[in-house]
Amino acid sequence: MLKYTIRRMIYVLPTLWAVVTFVFFLIRIVPGGPAVAALGSYATAESIQQLEKQMGLDKPILVQYGKFLKDLCQGDLGKSLITNKPISQEIARSLPYTLDLAIGGMIIGILFGIPTGIITALRRNRPPDYIGRVLSLVGISMPEFYLGILLMYVLAIKLQLFPVLGGGDLSHLGSRLYHLFLPALTLGIIMTAFISRMVRSSMLNVLREDYVRTARSKGLHEKVVIYKHALRNALIPTVTVIGIYMSILMGGSVLTEIIFSRPGLGKMMVFAVKDRDYIALQSVIIIFSAFVFLFNLITDLLYSLIDPRIEYH
Amino acid sequence: MKISKYGVFFLLAVIFMGICLISPAFAQEKVVKMALKASDIRSLDPHYGTTTIDYACIDPMFNGLVRFKPEDINPEKIEPDLAERWERSKDGLVWTFYLRKGVKFHKGYGEMTAEDVKFSLEKAANKATSGFAGDYAALDKVDVIDKYTVRITFKSAIPSVLGILTNYHGGYIVSKKAVLEKGDKFKFDPIGTGPFMLKEYIPKEKVVEVRHPEFFRGKPKLDRVELWFMPDASSREMAYRKGEIDIVEGEREQVWVKKMREIPGTAIEIFGPGETLVLHFNMTKKPMDDVRIRRAICHAINIDELMKFLGPDVTTRLVSVIPMDYLGGTDKVPKYEFNPEKAKKLLAEAGFPKGLELSMVITEMSDYRRPMEQIQEQLRRVGINLKMDVITHTAFHEQIRKDVNPLVLYVCARFPTADPLLTQFYYSKSIVGTPTAITNFSHYNKIDDLIEKARLEIDTKKQKELWAEAQSKILEEAAALPLCITKFVFARKVNVDLGYEMRSTLTLVIPIKEATDIRK
Repeated sequence: MLKYTIRRMIYVLPTLWAVVTFVFFLIRIVPGGPAVAALGSYATAESIQQLEKQMGLDKPILVQYGKFLKDLCQGDLGKSLITNKPISQEIARSLPYTLDLAIGGMIIGILFGIPTGIITALRRNRPPDYIGRVLSLVGISMPEFYLGILLMYVLAIKLQLFPVLGGGDLSHLGSRLYHLFLPALTLGIIMTAFISRMVRSSMLNVLREDYVRTARSKGLHEKVVIYKHALRNALIPTVTVIGIYMSILMGGSVLTEIIFSRPGLGKMMVFAVKDRDYIALQSVIIIFSAFVFLFNLITDLLYSLIDPRIEYH
Repeated sequence: MKISKYGVFFLLAVIFMGICLISPAFAQEKVVKMALKASDIRSLDPHYGTTTIDYACIDPMFNGLVRFKPEDINPEKIEPDLAERWERSKDGLVWTFYLRKGVKFHKGYGEMTAEDVKFSLEKAANKATSGFAGDYAALDKVDVIDKYTVRITFKSAIPSVLGILTNYHGGYIVSKKAVLEKGDKFKFDPIGTGPFMLKEYIPKEKVVEVRHPEFFRGKPKLDRVELWFMPDASSREMAYRKGEIDIVEGEREQVWVKKMREIPGTAIEIFGPGETLVLHFNMTKKPMDDVRIRRAICHAINIDELMKFLGPDVTTRLVSVIPMDYLGGTDKVPKYEFNPEKAKKLLAEAGFPKGLELSMVITEMSDYRRPMEQIQEQLRRVGINLKMDVITHTAFHEQIRKDVNPLVLYVCARFPTADPLLTQFYYSKSIVGTPTAITNFSHYNKIDDLIEKARLEIDTKKQKELWAEAQSKILEEAAALPLCITKFVFARKVNVDLGYEMRSTLTLVIPIKEATDIRK
């Protein structure tokens, strides 16, 4: 498995290179530059040109690209064109907020999604199934932005249970969790809907399989049949979906970050696009791509834990 | 060790008393939290801060040689700040400032002296270290006479010397020692003399400033100020309703004002100078090169309807291209009343009896997009079909500087004298596409002599006359159409005492001053 993991890590390098190259050139095609954004409306054409020179944007694009790749190979992501601060520092500061949110949302999704999926599958075409299906449809259809505002209104303003402001103090676990709950719940509800639907359909397929019938005919306890024989097999497609959604949550939680004023990577990316901060944007996308790869790898490795028949060489 | 039950009770009593003693200490901390419509700051170095959120964070930390009164930006009422008094030569070129003694910089950076003033002004005037160097083009030299006296010499007279030395843009005084010591880090770890000093900056979240205990006007009443970056209007409103925010930046819309007024314990602050909305006609592009077309558009736009749409509480009429409350503002200019029939007649005279088609780009920002959509509808009624492509704000700024638009709606606030607006928008050297370009989108170049004469004029009355004449010429030729001014809108808890009556401010957000307080 170690060999397999190393091989996968080597394979990811060309993919990462393709992604960053694509982003590098694409962002530079979009109208508007960082110098205009940084200097604001007071800027004269001369001062814009001067700042572009300072930023190194006056050099040919291939020279800029070469420097970017060279720095990247040395582990240097560069400095923000707008704030001139090292991007690695900004990412290190923002990443925990985004990871907390993505992991928190996924944990809630798994905790509620899997049991709901099992119950709705076992009670197929009965009231719990109808209720579960309707609720999951609502969860899938509800825009993240609207759900966040709704939860904020009910749980924070009306019931005064949670804060609405900021991501809390990273060095203080209590504060971190207290500020995380509402945004994680927002994403968690949506994840619950997706996961429960996935588990339900997988369970329905598995419950029809011969080995489940055999297990029952052997007189095994229903709990053992469900949890040991059926659920374990139904989890394989679910794990795939969870892996994909984890990647989506990392990059797609930007609206939740904005609503709850969390200083995460999604917010950093939006600000970088707005200000044409090429360096910041490239760096954030590299980080997101790396996480997509990591989650895919973890997903693949999890298969062998769930299903011992799967082996990696 | 065995503890008796009395011992346990005693221990609990001690803990309880400890909590009782500590809690009020926390409760007594005076903190004001303000939520602003922004994603992040760009710089806390006052000579680089160009956005409203930058101003909001910078202003409590710095002072100028002179300052606007906290409640008002009338340039004729500028008062001493770091300087106690000043003298000027007869020709207005040499100014001597006598500094306050004992003014302390934050965090042990020592006393503010003439060396810091010289360093700060030279930094502000240098393109490599300031975003506002253009404002100091006339600065010749700054001489240190003694520890508390500086002499500032100008190459030529400028409209408002005190204006460029106020607590605004390049006028802020920084600590020489801190800038030299921190280098580039000064942008996010600034040292000033203001009532509050930087405690913490969390990117994309907030700036926290704490009381400067040695502030020269006395100890600030608040312990801490938190400035939160919250681009989403709903989130700002929710945080305010929940009580986690004390002052919130609003939407410049009637609906928002009405809704927030209904929250108990809320005061709405609507203040100036506001941002001017002016439609600039590109006189080099066909058919805008024909004055009849420009005048037709002016007559086709119903400004009263536009103001009603934007919100009567948050807008006021802009009669000329310079607002009336700016030094040099006038209402004695040609006016274009709303008259669609006259507009159609002018279009026909210009060879467009069936109307015409125009296309332009507009930013996604609602401050621009909403009024422009209303104008688009009004122009349609007289047969002018205006196609608009909505693009990002950064791209918009780039595109309008490339002359792509036949007409440009520009929303801005400037230093409240006529010169900056006239120079940036109607001076030949500011024409877009030239090396010295700023924001002259109309390519108007017929008032250079008036702008230059007014700059050199020492007699304020004559200066105002020159500016008034310049404005009349701009409107006579319909180079631009002044529409309205949108005021800034904030809501605050009534227990926040600003310490002054909010009327207008160049920071464009409610300034937190040493007198600002919060009642429990």
